[in-house]
Amino acid sequence: MITAGIDMGVQNVKVVILKHGEILARSLTPSGFEPGKAAEKAFKEALKKAKISSDEVEHVTATGVGVEMAPRADSKVSMIAADAKAGVYLYSSARTVIDVGAEEARVIKCDEKGNVLDFALNERCAAGSGAFIEAMARALEVKVEDMGALSLNANGTVSISATCVIFGESDVVSLIHKQEPKHEIARAIYDALAERIISMIHRVGLNPDVVLVGGVAKDVGFAAALKRKLETEVLIPENPEFAGALGAALYAMEKVGEMQK
Amino acid sequence: MEAKSVGKKYIPEISQKEVEELKNSIKTTSTKIMAEYIGRMKKTWNNRPEAMQYFDEIANFFGRREKEIREAKEEGKKVIGYTCMFAPIELILAAEAIPVRVSSGWYDAAKLGNRIVPVEVCPVIRSTIGVKMIDLSPYLELSDALITTLTCDGMTKLSEILGDYKPVWTICPPRIKDSEQSMAFWKEELKTLKDNIEKLTGTKITSKKLRSAIELMHKAAKAFRKLQDVRKGNPVIMGRDAMLVNQTSMWDDIERWTRKTEELCSELEKRAQEKAWACPLDTPRVMITGTPIIWPDNWKLPNLIEEANPQGVIVVDELCSGDRFLYDPVGVDEWNMDDMFNAVAERYLLPSTCPCFTSEDGNENRVNWLVSKVKEFRVDGVIYYVVRGCMLYAMEYMRIKKALDQLNVPVYYLDTDYTREDTGQIKTRVEAFLEMLKSRVEI
Repeated sequence: MITAGIDMGVQNVKVVILKHGEILARSLTPSGFEPGKAAEKAFKEALKKAKISSDEVEHVTATGVGVEMAPRADSKVSMIAADAKAGVYLYSSARTVIDVGAEEARVIKCDEKGNVLDFALNERCAAGSGAFIEAMARALEVKVEDMGALSLNANGTVSISATCVIFGESDVVSLIHKQEPKHEIARAIYDALAERIISMIHRVGLNPDVVLVGGVAKDVGFAAALKRKLETEVLIPENPEFAGALGAALYAMEKVGEMQK
Repeated sequence: MEAKSVGKKYIPEISQKEVEELKNSIKTTSTKIMAEYIGRMKKTWNNRPEAMQYFDEIANFFGRREKEIREAKEEGKKVIGYTCMFAPIELILAAEAIPVRVSSGWYDAAKLGNRIVPVEVCPVIRSTIGVKMIDLSPYLELSDALITTLTCDGMTKLSEILGDYKPVWTICPPRIKDSEQSMAFWKEELKTLKDNIEKLTGTKITSKKLRSAIELMHKAAKAFRKLQDVRKGNPVIMGRDAMLVNQTSMWDDIERWTRKTEELCSELEKRAQEKAWACPLDTPRVMITGTPIIWPDNWKLPNLIEEANPQGVIVVDELCSGDRFLYDPVGVDEWNMDDMFNAVAERYLLPSTCPCFTSEDGNENRVNWLVSKVKEFRVDGVIYYVVRGCMLYAMEYMRIKKALDQLNVPVYYLDTDYTREDTGQIKTRVEAFLEMLKSRVEI
């Protein structure tokens, strides 16, 4: 059985193809101004990598903010349900899945089958998401991919508030004026974001094991800050940005199973 | 010519031209939206009963009811507006005045309110201010005086701002209600209010008049309870429609409203016998609690829940603009003036679940009400709805969540604002929640 998941993200479209529940291929394309076209490209690329044709894919499930624009969707699933499925697939012990994406952060409590029991999302504000890190890296004049490693050298001597991206930025600017070292400011940025995520975790309750997915999971600075504050192990899979697409592909598998019944 | 804002406490200068332009533009949008929403309600519930048509008509802010009130005023009747459900409707009716609720659900008017108060302020308040600035709401315009209540910070300052336009009678409910001095204080508040109402209307509230007003509201509460009872069973009415029925009771002629609601209930009871359900039986049963949801514009959440995929059905709410409004009848022992007046005072204070109250055990009335309704209405999940700036409801969330956790009933905290722009975002959240409820229903 071959299934696929398409995650129509704010920043990137992700595609995962599964064969009998094993990952056959994955691909990623920036969403850009035409997410529909980007998705078509990503889907074709994944098919090429998997060396199969579209007809061989029995069921495609789409998820993500641009779900309506997916080039092919035999069914749809929410990002929350997709994350829970992927989290438990990747680590069977996962009971809390945290997904920090470009513009949204989610904390999901799930059971051993990957069913959603409870969830929380960041409030109507980008301060709890990847957009916050990007804005802060700009203010700090470092590349966003370098900021994580930079922050690891810090001791945590300064802090900022993360009530909102704009206020966060003015906090960073005043730290720059105080001539605080860049690596300390970088760490303060990650600590602030981690604090936001932790307040969401407490809304659903902290249930180990904790899995961190989403594009921001690749940022070593954020991962370190979250681990520091949570005082519990945080599991991070390889290719965490594909969790949504993976979850959708797993959902597609279930759909095929249901239809065969 | 003297500027209008001279001598006003808050109101900035705004030209008559701008007032007219804004009023016309928002009124046009609003008229379109009211028709659209009713159309969508009909689409979701395709065998919607005839009896709903009456409520659709009364729900139109610029229609039949406005005309009726205008005519009644011409014949010398007084209109008394109120912002919160603490206003004792029985006293208004006993003085032969017309009660109308004036807190606003208009999204576009909230932006205007920003000229006077910061955007952090709750949009119900900002919108009510905006509505008054451009004379948008016919009920607010027709009001001869307003009863405002000092519940949250927003309502407190709203009283002052509305005072720039109309006579405002402020009543202050004591934040700790279960004590002798609180009750004594509250009764004094209502006595002053009663004097004011009598002075305005020129009608003395006699025991005979008060009794018939109480009895009138008893009948309304009975009709309302009947509708509630119908909703406890398998769904024969969609939640949005029931919410619309409830909302219209806040400006309709209450006697006629009661009759029409009874008629609707008879129809619904028949449908229950015929098993003509309004939606599939495995549709998750949702409760809404939190900030008041106000027709016509702020119908975003009810629309999303009942049009979602998977679909939900709102079976009950804990909103002062909804199922809380007519829930409690005035409990009279003896039909004499003192007893009746005390009973009215008690009804408007003691059972209130407003988060402005606290006690040694917090706002226990709200917790208990929610818990019992979750059981009675077989609620699968609760959406805790809060608009930005609505501090008291936002702060009480954890308390409510813990109580619901014990019942193993999921609750989702949904924060939004008076805006249409976040509909997509909220849709994702509501659908994920319903999807979760649905999978639990199936298990």
